[in-house]
Amino acid sequence: MRKVLTSVLVLLVSALALRAQNVSDLIISEALAQPDSTGILDDYGRRGGWVELYNKSTGTVNFGGCYLTDDRSDLRKSLIPKSDLRTNLGPRQTIILYCSGNGHDGTFYAGFTLAPGKTVYLVSNDGRTVIDSLQIPSGLPLGKSVIKLAPDIRQQHFAPVAEPAVPSPAIVNGDQNAATKGELMKERDPYGWILTVVSVSVVFSALAMLWFLFWLLFDRPAKKKAKDGDASTSPGITKGKRTVILRESEESEVAAAIALALDMEAGGDTYAAIATAVHLYLTEAVHDVEPGIVTIRRSESGWNNKSLNFRKLPK
Amino acid sequence: MEHIFESLSQFWEYTGFANCSWQNLVMIAIGLVFITLAIVKEWEPMLLVPIGFGMIVGNIPMFPGLNIGVYEDGSVLNILYQGVKQGWYPPLIFLGIGAMTDFSALISQPRLILIGAAAQMGIFGAYLLALLFGFAPNEAGAIGIIGGADGPTAIFLSSKLAPDLMGAIAVSAYSYMALVPVIQKPIMLLLTTKKERLIHMPTPRTVSKKEKIIFPIVGFLITAFIVPSGLPLLGMLFFGNLLKESGVTKRLANTASGPLIDVVTTLIGLTVGASTQADKFISVKSVLIFGLGLLSFVIATTCGVLFVKLMNLFIANPAKKINPLIGNAGVSAVPDSARVSEVVGREIDPTNHLLMHAMGPNVAGVIGSAVAAGILLSFLG
Repeated sequence: MRKVLTSVLVLLVSALALRAQNVSDLIISEALAQPDSTGILDDYGRRGGWVELYNKSTGTVNFGGCYLTDDRSDLRKSLIPKSDLRTNLGPRQTIILYCSGNGHDGTFYAGFTLAPGKTVYLVSNDGRTVIDSLQIPSGLPLGKSVIKLAPDIRQQHFAPVAEPAVPSPAIVNGDQNAATKGELMKERDPYGWILTVVSVSVVFSALAMLWFLFWLLFDRPAKKKAKDGDASTSPGITKGKRTVILRESEESEVAAAIALALDMEAGGDTYAAIATAVHLYLTEAVHDVEPGIVTIRRSESGWNNKSLNFRKLPK
Repeated sequence: MEHIFESLSQFWEYTGFANCSWQNLVMIAIGLVFITLAIVKEWEPMLLVPIGFGMIVGNIPMFPGLNIGVYEDGSVLNILYQGVKQGWYPPLIFLGIGAMTDFSALISQPRLILIGAAAQMGIFGAYLLALLFGFAPNEAGAIGIIGGADGPTAIFLSSKLAPDLMGAIAVSAYSYMALVPVIQKPIMLLLTTKKERLIHMPTPRTVSKKEKIIFPIVGFLITAFIVPSGLPLLGMLFFGNLLKESGVTKRLANTASGPLIDVVTTLIGLTVGASTQADKFISVKSVLIFGLGLLSFVIATTCGVLFVKLMNLFIANPAKKINPLIGNAGVSAVPDSARVSEVVGREIDPTNHLLMHAMGPNVAGVIGSAVAAGILLSFLG
C-alpha cells in the first residue's frame, strides 16, 4: 500500500513538473490580415498575413506538432512540423508564422490565409485543446494589426487591445523602453533610504517570526519543564554503572575545568575547541545520536580472489 | 634563416613577456600576496589559495583570440566560469553549508536570531554609501551585499545585479572574510566595557532531534514566503540542513558537506580569481568597491555589537544578559566571526567560552544575508 501511495505521489509530482513549462504558455500575441506596401516579406518575397506567437514562460517551449487554424470545426487544419529544431521558442520570445495559404511553403507557414473578421486559433499537439485564439476585427484597416498586451509585464496576463496597432512583427509587444527596476528605484528613492528602511524591516520581520515561533513552540516549554525540576534535559555522565546527573552550574564548572586544564597546559584555539566540544557533548547540545550500527568489512580470502579463480593458461 | 627569425618573432608575440602590462604584474603580485597570507598566516586558506592562484592564472598576459581566457566564449576557464556568471555555484555551496551547519546554538537561544538581523545593517549602510559615491542602485545593492560577509551570496547577487562588478565584489567579500579577525577585534574592544566583556552567558539548553528537523522546514517556509527571490540560497541552505538532521540521508549529507562543497569551492575560488583580469579589474570603481566593502564590514560589526547592548537594556535578569562580544558574529562569516568572539572573550577571562553562544547569531547571519540578498534582488533585479 505504501509503495502504491509513493508511486502515485511520484507520478503526480512528475505530471506537475511536465505541466510547468509547455505549449500552454504560448499565446498569439499579434496578427495582421492585410498588409500595406510597407508590410514584411516572407522567405519567398511575398507580402501577406501573419500571426505572431509569444512564449510568456521563463523556459524554452517547443511548439512543433501544434496546429494553427482559422476554423473552429477543423482544429488540425495546419500542422507545424515536429522535426524542425527552430520550433524551440526561448523564454519571452516571439516568432512569426506566415499565413500564405500553403503549409508546404515551410515550417513557419500556415495552410490558410487571414482576413478581417476571422479568428485564428493555436491548438495543442493533441489536436483538440485550443491553447489561445485571437479575433481579427472585421473593420481592421489595411496595414494595421491586432495585438495582445499585458498591463503589467511581470504578471504576463495578456488581453487583446481594441484599437488597431502599428504592426510590430517579432517584437515583444509593450513598452520596450520601459525603465528597469534600478532606474525606477533611482528616480523614486535617489538616496536609498526607503529601500533601506523597508529591507531592514523585512529582514528583522523574517528572523523575528522565526525567533517567536521557536520561542513559543520549543524554547518556552523546554525552559518551563526545566524550571519545574525535570532534570531530564541533562544527559549526565556515565561513571561505571551509574549515571551522574549534573546540574547546569556543575556542567559549566566541568567545561570550565577542562578548558582551564587544557589552557594551562598549552593554550590556544585547539584546546578551546576541544573544551567546547566536550562541554557540548556533556550537555548533548550538538552531538548527533549514534546509529548503533556496526559495519563489518569484508576481508579478502582465497574464495573471492579473482586471480585465483582464473583458469591458468596451458604452458 | 630569415624564416627562423620570422618564426621566432612570431612566437615572441605570443609569449607573456610581449603582451605584459604593469596591470598584469600588479594583479599577479596581489595573487601572490593572497597565497602568502593563506599559507603563512593561514587566513582562509581554502578560499585565498584558489582565488590567489586564479588571479595569477587570469592575469598571465596572452595574445587575445587563442580561446583560452576566462572571458573568451567556449574556453575551458569560460565554461567553468559559467557557474559563477550564471549563479550555479553559490546555491551548491549553500547546500554544503546547510549540511555542515548545526543550528542547535540558534534553536536553544532563539533570541540570538535577532543579532543576525541587526548585523545585516552593514549591507544597507554600504548600499547608502555606494549611492552617495554615484553608483547606480543595482550596483550599490551588489556592493552592499559584501557587508553580509558571505562570499557565495555576494557572487549570487552581483551576478544578477551587476555582472561587470562581480570580480571586484567577490574578491573584496572573500578578502575581508579572511580579514575578519583583524577588522572586528578593534571594533569589539572599542564598543564594549570590561564589565560587559566579562558577562558569562547561561548554558544553552539541550535541543531535541525533533526541533532540529523542524527548524529547516519552518525556517525555509517562513523566509521563502517572505522573500521568494532568495529561494535558490535559502532553499539549498535549509535543504542541506534537513539532509543532515533527518538522520536518514546521511550519505547525501556527507556528500553535500564533503566532496561536493570542496569541488565547488575549488572551482568558484579559481574562476573568481581568474575573472580579475587586469583590463577588466583595475579601475577606480574596483578601488571604491574595496573601500565600501571594508566600511560595510565595519558597519555590520558595529551594529551587531550595539544591538546586543540594546537588547541587554531590556533584559532585567543579570544572569540572562548577553555578552556583546558575540554581536560581531551576526555577520555570516561562519565560523570565523564566532571564533573571534571566543578569542576576544577568553583574552579577558579564560574561563568565558563564547564560541557556542556566538554560533547562534553566526548561523542566523547566514539566513539574514540570504534574506537580504533576496530583498535586494526583488527591488533591483
